[in-house]
Amino acid sequence: MNSAVIEVLAPRYGIAWYPWAVQYFFLIAISYSALLLTVPGLLFGKKNYESLAKVALLVTVSCTLVGPVALLADLHQPLRFWHFYANLTPWSWMSIGSLLLPVYLILVVAYAWLAWRPAMQVQAQGEGWIAKLSGWVSLGQWCAPRWMLVVAGLGALALSVGIMVYTGAEVAIVKARPLWNTHWLPVMFVLTGLVAAAGLVILINRLMTGNDQEVNEQSLKVIVVTMILSALVAALWISEGITGFSPSVEQAFASLQRNPEWRAVAIYGLLVGIALTLSAIAMLRRPGWIGRSWIAGLLAVHIGWTFRWMVLMEVQTVAKNTAGYYHYAIEAGSSGLMGIIGTFGLWLAALLIIDILVPWKKSLQASSH
Amino acid sequence: MDKIRRTLLGQIAKLTAGAALVPLSSIAAAGINDQPARREGDPEKRYAMLIDLRACIGCQACTVSCHIENEAPLGSFRTIVSQYEVEHEETGNTATFMLPRLCNHCENPPCVPVCPVQATFQRKDGIVVVDNEACVGCAYCVQACPYDARFINEYTQTADKCTFCAHRLDVGLLPACVESCVGGARIIGDIRDPNSQISRMMKEHYNELMVLKPEMGTAPHVFYLGMDERFVSRPDAKPAIWDVRDQQGEEIGYEFSGH
Ligand code: SF4
Ligand code: SF4
Ligand code: SF4
Repeated sequence: MNSAVIEVLAPRYGIAWYPWAVQYFFLIAISYSALLLTVPGLLFGKKNYESLAKVALLVTVSCTLVGPVALLADLHQPLRFWHFYANLTPWSWMSIGSLLLPVYLILVVAYAWLAWRPAMQVQAQGEGWIAKLSGWVSLGQWCAPRWMLVVAGLGALALSVGIMVYTGAEVAIVKARPLWNTHWLPVMFVLTGLVAAAGLVILINRLMTGNDQEVNEQSLKVIVVTMILSALVAALWISEGITGFSPSVEQAFASLQRNPEWRAVAIYGLLVGIALTLSAIAMLRRPGWIGRSWIAGLLAVHIGWTFRWMVLMEVQTVAKNTAGYYHYAIEAGSSGLMGIIGTFGLWLAALLIIDILVPWKKSLQASSH
Repeated sequence: MDKIRRTLLGQIAKLTAGAALVPLSSIAAAGINDQPARREGDPEKRYAMLIDLRACIGCQACTVSCHIENEAPLGSFRTIVSQYEVEHEETGNTATFMLPRLCNHCENPPCVPVCPVQATFQRKDGIVVVDNEACVGCAYCVQACPYDARFINEYTQTADKCTFCAHRLDVGLLPACVESCVGGARIIGDIRDPNSQISRMMKEHYNELMVLKPEMGTAPHVFYLGMDERFVSRPDAKPAIWDVRDQQGEEIGYEFSGH
């Protein structure tokens, strides 16, 4: 079969999931990862992790609130979202997700509410509209027993596992896209989510709480460990493809064959990954450097977001049926750039509103007992 | 792709075309991502299409008539005929290969179980349809179809795809593409009826039939006669897409140009 084939006529297929999907996957991953970071300080009440828990709690609440908005926006018929609940479809991962998400959101908000409540009650004693609002939000001066916080926290944690599994499985079961169809994808979503969450915690710590060194150190450690694990997972995925152990990974490689752009992406990913890991290690080792953790924080957030962009957007440009690749140019309108900026804007607004209304830097309920 | 792999894929293609004829017993909904029960349609029938590539002249009459019948937006297609130029490396001779593509109305359609609101479903006669009153436009089914047979219709903002012209079949008419096929290459019919033209042709050419992407395990029900193994899966070809432009020179049929 010595022949050269040219595809003369084929339609261009557009992408079907828009950048909104990247925003959702990014925010929800940060949400469940930051929730994990609150556990030692808030749920277990470990004193030396309390500062970390404070920042992480703010991060998890703000991302949990904004993530679902991006998800809704990715539907082409967002006003029909109630169809999810009118037609329960237990065999569809997306339907399962639509059930988990609201429960998760409520539990995270309850957990944060209970943690912030004692400080809000103190604030309610003061003068002015913020005090009045705090009084309403904290629903009176009664003391919520600690078990309530523990129950809400454990519930949120249990649901967060559900979110990790469903967001990963939803994408990984799509056989039609070999680059998605691997059981390593859900693992990678969680690991890069932790990297990004720790990075965001470092950034907020730098911008809003005076660069607490303990928080920097703990977050950098999370970054180093998860980056090493990510490298391990990537290596396993690649070896599955090279050895042919997984036919779908093999197909995934074949689909990118001889494509210089994808090769560039792989090299870039490798370099940024190494840069982040090494710089995080260096910052941990050299006492003077830890104050500049925000650089590692920025890199970490960049990795978490770009991983999702590559996986969810760029993979859609790999043709399923026809030769070659589709070109995806990000559009300026609401399904493109405005969507990305809008989501981040909304998140920033959520963060600032919480910052104004909630004395989140005061001690949490965990230590008030 | 090397020669051995290609031949192997070709073999699988033939085998799967055979296996698809054994009707799968109806699968009850069980685990996640399993096929749900079928609904509507005539349980006595199983529609399928046979495309005789030897008779296809690549005129795109099917593409156009489908477009008109089903009012698809510009640039989105329920069926299209891919065209390839094949050049023999030694002799330099060229030949053209035409490949009509449409929804395969798979026996194991991955687009169905993913749908979160049961808007996409398979009828008892095998036809896979979308209820676009129920569809939320999540595009999960578009991702799940290995054949790019689905798209989000920019007018309705819901999933759209070939239905074998179910609205015509149900009243005894042929699908638009079959009706207009210049070469008589498209044959549609009920494969449960041993006397239908499609059943007779499938019996006659049983060993030559192939389906697209058999490795996906979808058991397609569009069968190709006169298929070249190199085109069964994503072809190892040089893309030379011609941009489709309207009178103003604006590109059409391209994702972000129209909205
Ligand atoms: S070809 Fe695609 S859209 Fe058609 S039934 Fe198969 S998976 Fe579904
Ligand atoms: S786009 Fe419509 S038909 Fe397709 S999976 Fe989503 S809701 Fe179902
Ligand atoms: S109308 Fe018939 S002959 Fe013409 S391109 Fe379509 S399938 Fe081929």
